[in-house]
Amino acid sequence: MATPLTITTSRHQNGPMTLKVTGEIDMSNAAVLATAIEQQPGPLIVELTEVGYVDSAGLSVLFAHADRLEVVLPALLAPVVAIAGLGAVALVHGPQ
Amino acid sequence: MPESGRTDVFAADGVIGPDLAAVDWVNTPLGPPASWPQSLRTAVDILLSSRFPMWLAWGPELTFCCNGAYRRDTLGRKYPWALGRPAAEVWAEIWDDIGPRIDTVLTTGEATWDEALLLFLERSGYQEETYHTFSYSPLRDDAGAVVGMLCVVSEDTDRVVGERRMATLRDLGSDPTGVRTEQEALAFACEQLNRNLRDLPFTLTYLFRADGSAQLAGSSGGADELPVDWPLAELARDESVLVALDDIGLPAGDWTEPPRTALVVPLRRQGGSPYGFLVAGLDRYRPADEGYRGFVELVAGHLAAGVAAARGYRTQQRRAEELAELDQAKTAFFSNISHEFRTPLTLIMGPVADLRDQFTDGPAPVREELDVIHRNGLRLGKLVNTLLDFSRIEAGRMQAGYEPVDLGAITAELASVFRSAIDKAGLAFVVDSPTLPEPVYIDRGMWEKVVLNLLSNALKFTFDGSIEVRLRTENGAAELTIADTGIGVSAEEMPRLFERFHRIPNARARSHEGSGIGLALVRELVGLHGGTIVADSTVGAGTRFTIRLPFGSAHLPADALADATGSAAVSVAVEPYVHEALRWLPGEQSPQETPPTTLPEGMPAPAIRASVIVADDNADMRGYLTRLLSGAGYQVSAVADGAQALDAIRTHAPDLLVCDVMMPKLDGLGLVAALRQQPRTAALPVVLLSARAGEEASIEGLRVGADDYLVKPFAAAELLARVRANIELSRLRGHHSRWRAALVDSLQEAFFVCDEDGAVVEINAAFTDILGYGADGLPYPPPHPWWPDERTDPESPRQVVEAFAGMLPGGRSGVVIPVLHHDGSRRWISATANSVQDPDTGRTVVVGTFRDATAEHYVVRRETALAALSTSLSRAASLPEALTGALAELRELWRARRVLAAVFSSTGPPELTSVGSHVTWADMPQEHRDTINAVRERPTLSPAGEGTTGIGVALEHPAGTMVLWLDLDERRPLTDQDELLLSLLAGHLAQGLSRAHQIDQHRETALALQRAILGPADLPDGFAVGYEPAARPLQVGGDWYDTVPLPDGRIGIVVGDCVGRGLAAAAVMGQLRSACRALLLQQASPARTLMALDNFAAGVPGALCTTVFCGVLDPDTGTLTYSSAGHPPAILTGADGSRKLLDEANYIPLAVRPETRRPEAQWTLPPHATLLMYTDGLVERRRRSLTDGIDAASEAVRVSRHIALDDLVTAVMARLAPPEGYEDDVALLLYRHPAPLELTFPAESSRLAAVRKSLRDWLTKCELPTQTMQNALVAVGEACANAIEHGSDHTAGAAVRLRAEALVDDLHLTVSDSGSWRPPRPDEAPTRGRGLTLIRALTEDVTITRGRHGTVVDMRMGIS
Repeated sequence: MATPLTITTSRHQNGPMTLKVTGEIDMSNAAVLATAIEQQPGPLIVELTEVGYVDSAGLSVLFAHADRLEVVLPALLAPVVAIAGLGAVALVHGPQ
Repeated sequence: MPESGRTDVFAADGVIGPDLAAVDWVNTPLGPPASWPQSLRTAVDILLSSRFPMWLAWGPELTFCCNGAYRRDTLGRKYPWALGRPAAEVWAEIWDDIGPRIDTVLTTGEATWDEALLLFLERSGYQEETYHTFSYSPLRDDAGAVVGMLCVVSEDTDRVVGERRMATLRDLGSDPTGVRTEQEALAFACEQLNRNLRDLPFTLTYLFRADGSAQLAGSSGGADELPVDWPLAELARDESVLVALDDIGLPAGDWTEPPRTALVVPLRRQGGSPYGFLVAGLDRYRPADEGYRGFVELVAGHLAAGVAAARGYRTQQRRAEELAELDQAKTAFFSNISHEFRTPLTLIMGPVADLRDQFTDGPAPVREELDVIHRNGLRLGKLVNTLLDFSRIEAGRMQAGYEPVDLGAITAELASVFRSAIDKAGLAFVVDSPTLPEPVYIDRGMWEKVVLNLLSNALKFTFDGSIEVRLRTENGAAELTIADTGIGVSAEEMPRLFERFHRIPNARARSHEGSGIGLALVRELVGLHGGTIVADSTVGAGTRFTIRLPFGSAHLPADALADATGSAAVSVAVEPYVHEALRWLPGEQSPQETPPTTLPEGMPAPAIRASVIVADDNADMRGYLTRLLSGAGYQVSAVADGAQALDAIRTHAPDLLVCDVMMPKLDGLGLVAALRQQPRTAALPVVLLSARAGEEASIEGLRVGADDYLVKPFAAAELLARVRANIELSRLRGHHSRWRAALVDSLQEAFFVCDEDGAVVEINAAFTDILGYGADGLPYPPPHPWWPDERTDPESPRQVVEAFAGMLPGGRSGVVIPVLHHDGSRRWISATANSVQDPDTGRTVVVGTFRDATAEHYVVRRETALAALSTSLSRAASLPEALTGALAELRELWRARRVLAAVFSSTGPPELTSVGSHVTWADMPQEHRDTINAVRERPTLSPAGEGTTGIGVALEHPAGTMVLWLDLDERRPLTDQDELLLSLLAGHLAQGLSRAHQIDQHRETALALQRAILGPADLPDGFAVGYEPAARPLQVGGDWYDTVPLPDGRIGIVVGDCVGRGLAAAAVMGQLRSACRALLLQQASPARTLMALDNFAAGVPGALCTTVFCGVLDPDTGTLTYSSAGHPPAILTGADGSRKLLDEANYIPLAVRPETRRPEAQWTLPPHATLLMYTDGLVERRRRSLTDGIDAASEAVRVSRHIALDDLVTAVMARLAPPEGYEDDVALLLYRHPAPLELTFPAESSRLAAVRKSLRDWLTKCELPTQTMQNALVAVGEACANAIEHGSDHTAGAAVRLRAEALVDDLHLTVSDSGSWRPPRPDEAPTRGRGLTLIRALTEDVTITRGRHGTVVDMRMGIS
């Protein structure tokens, strides 16, 4: 059984699509996130503020689409993402 | 006068210049200096500039001018008067001498030169004899005309006068004729003085007569007796006096005027009043200064020396004449007295010869007495004849009859007479005396004396070797050599060898008898034959006399020639020589064997028996004295010289010594001196006998310490009276000391006295018994022979030195020290000593006693050794330890280089244990292995030594036969006692090893038992335990601990301690442990559990007073509920090191008051806190409070709280262990909160969320910051992901294991799987490596161990 993960899609007016992710991302469900991202071509905001855990499998998904992603992180995840160096290839910032 | 003119002309000299300037030049022919021609000015300038004495004269009046040097040396008092005056006026007194010279210069213009010209100057207020060397040279004016002269001058007076005086003194000392009469000596001197009439115009030499008046004995300068009263008083005091002389027509010497004064000088005599005095008229033209007076004194000294030499010569001459007269008188006296002797001698010898004939069969004593008279009569006769010969030779009245003889035959015959004596002395005797080609003219009687004297001499001084007589023809003369291998004569003594009455002092000889006349007579006799005798000798090698007699009769007085008688037979004169020689040899007569002489009438026998030693080199005298003293009841032993006497006295001290003064080797005086030096013999009464009469001789004898002195000849009665008196006196005197000696000798303990130098000077019988050294060897100077030899036994002398240091006053005494018995065996003595002052001499001596402590020593040594070995064995906790300890102890005990134990078990090579240096059986030399194998074959406990280098013994070891081998220090001697000791020790060791073996077995059993019942086999997570049995004795104890997992997930914890030890306590413990466990499962409340246990324990014998700490822990919350039954409080140590004692629910031990309610308390353990529960063995120490122990335990946990729990157990146990080990059992139980997390899950990614949940919960219990928790989650998650991904390569679904442990400062996270991580593939990068990157970034330390069975990722993270 994969780790539960909820992904909702929304769009601000005239803005890019937003993928809001809730739960924990690990190797058991990273593919779910990947599929969700792949379904939304073009610039995409990935909203991770409700994610309690992300590991390298999850980060690999984000890296794969880094050039078109804007990643919104909670403080808890900031160190892991920073260590992985995602900020160098994707737009990464905390909650507005 | 212009200032400038003065300056110009006279400026060169600052002293003379002003005076010259002051001259009224205007009134001289030269006029004012300003008007002087340049030539004059230049001359003056040169003059003043020069430091050589000069003057010049210028102008018609020869006006005078000079420089400073001239003023000083010559002008004297004429300065400055002379400046500017006419030269003829300045030098008026010598103008006759110098005027003509100056004229010559002025007229011819040529310079003059005069050397050492005598000039009488009046520069010092009198007419003075002076000598000058000078030159006058012309001075020209500006036009070139000679207008003046310059004189350069140097004065020679001192040189001329000095040389003159030296010549006189030299002449006086050059007397070519040597010693002569006083008159001649003085005449010679005056003759010399006549040659110096300048310094000594006349002299008069007076000598004092015996009455003190002076008599003129010589004069010079034609002087005669003067009517002057000479200052005799001053002269008598050795003072010189200057006397004024009136002009009374005295001789003037070389001068025109006679002296005005004379110096009168004593003719000094060494150590006496002057011989006379010298009157020296003094040269009036010279001052009577020190130099002049010194000269006269030296002249007087020469005269005095001449007088002294003459008088000394005269005295010697007179003495020589006197001696000659004396010698003549002596010869006459000898001649007369010898004749006077011969008459009574004849009248003695005749009747004695008759008596001997009559008593041929008479009683032996009478015969022997007559023999003595006969022999000594012969000796006396020989001496008288020799003296007579001498006086005849001296007086030129020797009646010789020289006849031509076969010298070879006669000499051989004479030599043969001596053969028996020489053979008896054990010497080889070689006579090589062939008939010579020509007869030799000799006086037979004289020749006999020559040969016999030389042979007798040779025998006397030769103790081994040979005597050789050889006759040869050498260089036209008969040459007889008599050579011996005796003591020889030193080079210093050789010149006096033939001197009459001269005897070589202290020479070793067969006899000290003799007059010292023999060799002198031989030389005289040989001389009468026109022959020569020479001796050459080497000390220690021998002496050779060589006599040369010319052939023919031309050298002999014609009236003394006789016809040949043709007989070679020796005359009767030979007999005394041989008799005498035989008496020197041992065994001629044994004085001891002669029966005692009858006591002289009226002499009482001695009241008490006393022993007397007689020392005399004359056998007859020895025999006589022996018979005399034996007859008087004394126990007599006789010896022939001083050295023998000393030996005899040291061996056995007699009551009195009678000894001759003149003895070979050691004479009587030397003997007495030697005796007096030794305390033992210092008081021995000595009666000296001497042939030397006179007070001086006896005083000398008494001075060296003899008690009495008898002059030979002495009356028998007198000798006996003196001997008796001296013995009685000595007994009286010696009563006290004998008493003391008897007391000392009766002591059971050895007694000795040491003098200041440490020499042992007195001992008693016990001393000899113990050490084997007797009184006859006294004194024993240090180092004493009984001290152990440092070379063979370096240890023992050190003990002796230490013991002696202790024995000195104030030190301890009664120490036991090693000594060597005279027989070489080792003994031990217990000695005490004290220093005391000798009341007579004031010197400090050491008096000591000791007893034989050998047996005691060995007993003590044995006991000590056994005790040491026992202690060592009893301390050992195991068999190897016992063996090693025992070997070390043996090594120390025997001071062995190495101690080795070889244990031969059933198979294989023996197992070696060594102390001192490591060795293996394989490395050991075969020789050594053989030795050890040999010992193994011997019966056990029977030691076998190998020289002094080693000793071994076989004994029983639990594993087989053991050989114990000691490599000893090579210098240590081995004794029976050593073997005995080793045997004992080995026996003891065997027992000890057997006991240690049993202990080992017991210990193993006990430990197995204890561990079996002590606590649960499996502990819940977060717990660690330790158990240490008491070091000694090893028994099962009553401690236990327990953890009980309760159904609700909580954990029951119990630590208890039953009273007592051993199996009974263990049984109680087992019951309580089971009961407690059951109760906890039921009640889950510590207080109630303990209350129930109170009841249970009440029914279990031996359970009373058991202490128990019981708690229930919720591992999730850390809440601990606890109750203690008299048990020491659990200690909680916080992460920060703070301490909390869980002592709030303590009550009495079990079963003391059953049915009493017990308290219960609760405490929540903070994260990372460490809980320590223990039994009292951990904290209880003798003489220390329990609080101290608890503090120490708290501290032990505090300092090591950072380390893993299992390690902490060891650290705490080690830190609290006393040096000798725990005295009581110790059990301890540690828990750190929270307990580590341990999860095992299948390697499936679907499990990850659940794993994260568990980990997050555990991390929450650890109360970590959110971010730290997140980091830990990610790191673990990545590791798990890898494990799932790669660990599943081989076995799908294989287990992954996670362990998380919180230490105080960090987290320890471990993820292990059963697979192996695949190295990252390039195409997977960077994603594939991202997980590892994250792990590395998030943890402080990560170790990945890839093994065959899987991979372990070990991560650490700081949490503080």
